[in-house]
Amino acid sequence: MALLSPELRAETVALCVNSEGRGSFCVNNVKTSDAAAEEEQAQSKKALKKQQKEAEKQAKKAEKQAKMDFAKDRYGVSAMVQSQERLGRTLIRVQDLTPEKANQLVWVRARMHTIRAKGKQCFLVLRQQQFNVQALVAVGDRASKQMVKFAANITKESIVDVEAVVQTVEQKIETCTQHDVELHVERIFVISQADARLPLQLEDGLFLPAGRATVNQDTRLDNRVIDLRTTTSQAIFRLQSGVCQLFRDTLLQKGFVEIQTPKIISAASEGGANVFTVSYFKTSAYLAQSPQLYKQMCICADFDKVFCIGPVFRAEDSNTHRHLTEFVGLDIEMAFNYHYHEVLDSITDTMVEIFKGLRDRFQTEIQTVCKQYHSEPFKFLEPTLRLEYQEGVAMLRAAGVEMGDEEDLSTPNEKLLGRLVKEKYDTDFYVLDKYPLEVRPFYTMPDPHNPKYSNSYDMFMRGEEILSGAQRVHDAQLLTERASHHGIGSHSNSSCYEDFYSFRYGAPPHAGGGIGLERVTMLYLGLHNIRQTSMFPRDPKRLTP
Amino acid sequence: MPMYQLKPICGSDIKIDLPACMYKLPNIHAQQGSGCAEHALQNGDVDPALKALEARQDEILRKLYDLKAAVDGLAKTVTTPDADLDATTLPQSPTGSPFTGTADLDALLGKDVGALRDIVVNANPANPPFSLLVLHGLLCRRYRVLSSVYVHSSVTSVPPQLLSCLGQPPADSYTRDRFQLGFTLIWKDVPTLQMKFSTPSMCPIEGEANVARFLFRLLGAEPRDPVAATRADCWVDVGIIQLAEGSAKERAAAVRALNAALGCSPWLLGSELSLADIVCACSLLWAGQADAAPANVKRWLQACRNLGHFDCVYTLLQ
Repeated sequence: MALLSPELRAETVALCVNSEGRGSFCVNNVKTSDAAAEEEQAQSKKALKKQQKEAEKQAKKAEKQAKMDFAKDRYGVSAMVQSQERLGRTLIRVQDLTPEKANQLVWVRARMHTIRAKGKQCFLVLRQQQFNVQALVAVGDRASKQMVKFAANITKESIVDVEAVVQTVEQKIETCTQHDVELHVERIFVISQADARLPLQLEDGLFLPAGRATVNQDTRLDNRVIDLRTTTSQAIFRLQSGVCQLFRDTLLQKGFVEIQTPKIISAASEGGANVFTVSYFKTSAYLAQSPQLYKQMCICADFDKVFCIGPVFRAEDSNTHRHLTEFVGLDIEMAFNYHYHEVLDSITDTMVEIFKGLRDRFQTEIQTVCKQYHSEPFKFLEPTLRLEYQEGVAMLRAAGVEMGDEEDLSTPNEKLLGRLVKEKYDTDFYVLDKYPLEVRPFYTMPDPHNPKYSNSYDMFMRGEEILSGAQRVHDAQLLTERASHHGIGSHSNSSCYEDFYSFRYGAPPHAGGGIGLERVTMLYLGLHNIRQTSMFPRDPKRLTP
Repeated sequence: MPMYQLKPICGSDIKIDLPACMYKLPNIHAQQGSGCAEHALQNGDVDPALKALEARQDEILRKLYDLKAAVDGLAKTVTTPDADLDATTLPQSPTGSPFTGTADLDALLGKDVGALRDIVVNANPANPPFSLLVLHGLLCRRYRVLSSVYVHSSVTSVPPQLLSCLGQPPADSYTRDRFQLGFTLIWKDVPTLQMKFSTPSMCPIEGEANVARFLFRLLGAEPRDPVAATRADCWVDVGIIQLAEGSAKERAAAVRALNAALGCSPWLLGSELSLADIVCACSLLWAGQADAAPANVKRWLQACRNLGHFDCVYTLLQ
């Protein structure tokens, strides 16, 4: 009682009297009976007025109810789509909502991105993949107050069907991708409702001005489905699909054959370290570290030029920004006539075609990602710049790095060399050729002029290695020598070793290499973590989702 | 210098029986003692080390004064045109025959570091640097040059003749270490032509004229005589600033000047082809003024063409 306002208290008192007749105990005991009687009269008058008022209210409400009816079938939660009927309705895509569609009545299916109710109107931002548009529900002859209220209470991320008139706007809507038009909603139906509580807010995953709370990367990865809805994620994975497609298209055009290789193998392909063991009936098997052997066997089987796109597994316990335990490998192997640079040119051509395709076809995606993660546009040269390892070492030495001639490049040196090359040639993509033999796997062909070096190459994007390849030893005898030099005897790794016996039946000279899809996407966009470009990343600490 | 010094109070030759269980050190006192004895100078004596230091300081100051005087003198010559040297009174020293000078790449570009010395030129395809192409041809005659042409991603398409403007790549271009010099031409969206050589120790060189000077120096044929060198520099600037980039009026004036100069001698600097001829001829060709040129200039252009160095430019112009 004490909490009620004075008027309300009076009403309550009056009601008590009415219902209990003379009894006035419900009011304070301090009043005398006379006073109580006088009061009672006054109160009954009040009660009368009160009743009248209530009747009026009822009438008004009824009136309102009647008013609401006119828009009743224009909004609501529609029945679950169980394929009851097939409507001939065409849905317009948000990205197609342009000023040319002005004054047209369109149906749009989209997600509720944001909702902002303001008195008699309610502003919605409808999102569809990378694009969004502003929609307005305002009380008028098409929409009732109840409809506005309904729209304002739809949970974020719900999927809605909206019928609306496209209207051009005078002032550009800066917050939306379709900034020249807005939708004036006439009907709105909820197709699928989202929980009111989201594990992360989409806007938080998007633009992060300094000082605002940020979402932890792990939170994002745990709720990957929602994180993937952000425009940035949408753009990243569309671009990644583009990389794959351009890779495939370019190689098919060059006469390559796409092959599929087994992922469960009996022995490690590269020395035996870093492999995942899986139980295989009564024995154990390994997950393929690379399709290396199988690509080479296809070459020996006269496929001439092959490529394959598939998962690759590395049991490396490295928690860095660029290591995953499972990633998509784009592998190329090709027989050549006289010089392995024929293969190198094919690979670099393919890469340049990919970069050009991305530059020309995926500008929207690149810009979208750039809005959140700002980076310099990716620069490259055509044909690709090729430097030799010794030159790289000389450049590093000129910059003050102390390193031996045949020492492998450390990660910081790789990055530094990338910067030096960029400074001089202004390219983010280059090839470093002729690596020291010692730092390459045993099946790498030694250099014909200098036995300390080899016919092997690495490719770099923004100073990080993306491809490692070489001319392979295709002579069984030399291979045996090289293998024993590296301490890989027939006893230690028998089946892997036996695979190379296919060379005894005649093998064309060949070379190849493998690229990591996630790394290429990450480095092309200038992102800083490979987990952003892997849809469901696997690293030593993450197996879900 | 210690503030004051004392002669040792006790002699350094005291014999002490030292335990043999630990390692030995030379007697510290004995060393110090001897040092003290050396430096124990009488009042008024100055340490020779100090004297040497003073002498060095005096020497440095003297050099600085000399330098200042030299700079002041130069500044005077520059700011007052009357103080200019009279070029006519100076004896005309014969310039060496072009492209036969003994240029040593090690001396010109720094010591060989075991890697290809690569000259990178960024040029805009809208404005191909003809003079550099001619110089590239001359360099190729002198050295084993690995020339390569690239297209930067800032440019979408380049006419095919620009891609082959440095000629066919040598057959053994896969062995980069066999070449003395690299010449890398990158067609790129740059406002002014740019050359990069050794990025850690040298800033980029901008402008066609400056890059042309750099490349010509590699031929070891620039005039040793300062007057001739100045005249060459002057003609190079005329070629780039007035002939290639200037207005119609400026261009006409420059052509007249060329005509006058070529009336006296077969080439701009006398009897030999020089950088001045290369740059001016290329600018004239680029500006499309070759046909409307006066007689002397026409004769000179024909002479240039007959030399064969300009073939790459004429191919591009077609």
